[in-house]
Amino acid sequence: MDEAELLLQRFVDNDLTPDERIRLLTALDQDATLRRRLLEIERLVSEAGRLPRLAPSSRFVAQVRACLRETNATRWSRIKNWFLTPRVLHWSPAGALAIAVIALAVMSGVSRIAIDRSAPPAAPPAATEPTVLVRLVLLKPQARSVAVAGDFNGWNPERTPLSRVDGGVWAATIPLKPGRYHYMYVVDGTQWVTDPFAHEESLDGFGSSNAVLDVELPL
Amino acid sequence: MGAGRTAPDEHDLLARSLRRDPDAFGQLVERYASSIVSLAYRMVGERADAEDVAQETFLAAFKALPTFRADARFSTWLYRIAMNKCKDWLRTHRAGQGAAESEAEAAWAELAVDQATPERTLTQRQIADHLERAIQKLPPLYREAFVLKHVEGLDYEEMEQIIGVNRDTLKMRVYKARTQLCRMLGALQETR
Repeated sequence: MDEAELLLQRFVDNDLTPDERIRLLTALDQDATLRRRLLEIERLVSEAGRLPRLAPSSRFVAQVRACLRETNATRWSRIKNWFLTPRVLHWSPAGALAIAVIALAVMSGVSRIAIDRSAPPAAPPAATEPTVLVRLVLLKPQARSVAVAGDFNGWNPERTPLSRVDGGVWAATIPLKPGRYHYMYVVDGTQWVTDPFAHEESLDGFGSSNAVLDVELPL
Repeated sequence: MGAGRTAPDEHDLLARSLRRDPDAFGQLVERYASSIVSLAYRMVGERADAEDVAQETFLAAFKALPTFRADARFSTWLYRIAMNKCKDWLRTHRAGQGAAESEAEAAWAELAVDQATPERTLTQRQIADHLERAIQKLPPLYREAFVLKHVEGLDYEEMEQIIGVNRDTLKMRVYKARTQLCRMLGALQETR
């Protein structure tokens, strides 16, 4: 940027000293090209100042408000709400048949255990580690699919897809053992997104941040 | 008619938001939605993406509200978060930017040739459209400086707080943005 151009730019910002103004005005008087440059810059500044402000879509504020309420809810109240919210179950004959077969298998196992109860136990049953149900929620009205990838599923988003619920909200409830987990959402199979609700984030070394989730057992 | 309800002032809404009142913060969202969506649109170039970025901005702001210093302006703080979210978005989507830029370049050249006939006069709306497109072609650092300075009308002091870069550097970015935009718009301005 040469001296004349720099003076022009500073003139537009009202940054010139009185001496510099005189130097520039003298140069403008003698140089038609410089006058034209000044006119171009002034036009640009004027047009930029007139660019319209965009009104957000009609649903924008309502969506953000819904997310704020969700963010504000405690983890336990979210889990409680999940259990208490009525849902419509979709089923198919094939699915129902599969469930019936599984139920029969379980019943037969239970009756076998009942029969064997008189015999002394061979070994104590392995203690099952307690888990906590965690509800993951992301608002992405434009998304075609949303999944989550993290420590808990080997960073494989195919293992944990989220389901679309009302208002462009995607959600999944997963059982997790107590501990600290890192995760990210995967939108439309390609876009990795940090959970905006995460209480903590950590850099992933690739220029993005993983969300951090601490799972604790209730006291 | 009674005394009528006056809108709560920003200080009051912020105090309630700090006590984790989502309705109070929702009113702040309503006040600033247009500013933040507009800013994001000028940075990312697509309306739907701009709304996503704006939403992330407000949620991040709600979460980080305890770190907001009362001596700062809320709008400045919010702009700063919005700019960081825009930069994150641009970083994530940088892979596809090359192709989009070359498409925009071709479309621009076509448009400039089409409009450069003497008998054509550009309307205000057309000029605004061309300017919007030209802004999208600026490098992100020049784009953010130009948008804050001339579209949002902020002064360099406020821009320093938002971008976190010293005033002289910001001025140089604005100068360069204006130079590049004038070059891009030059052919079109001749037809006015």
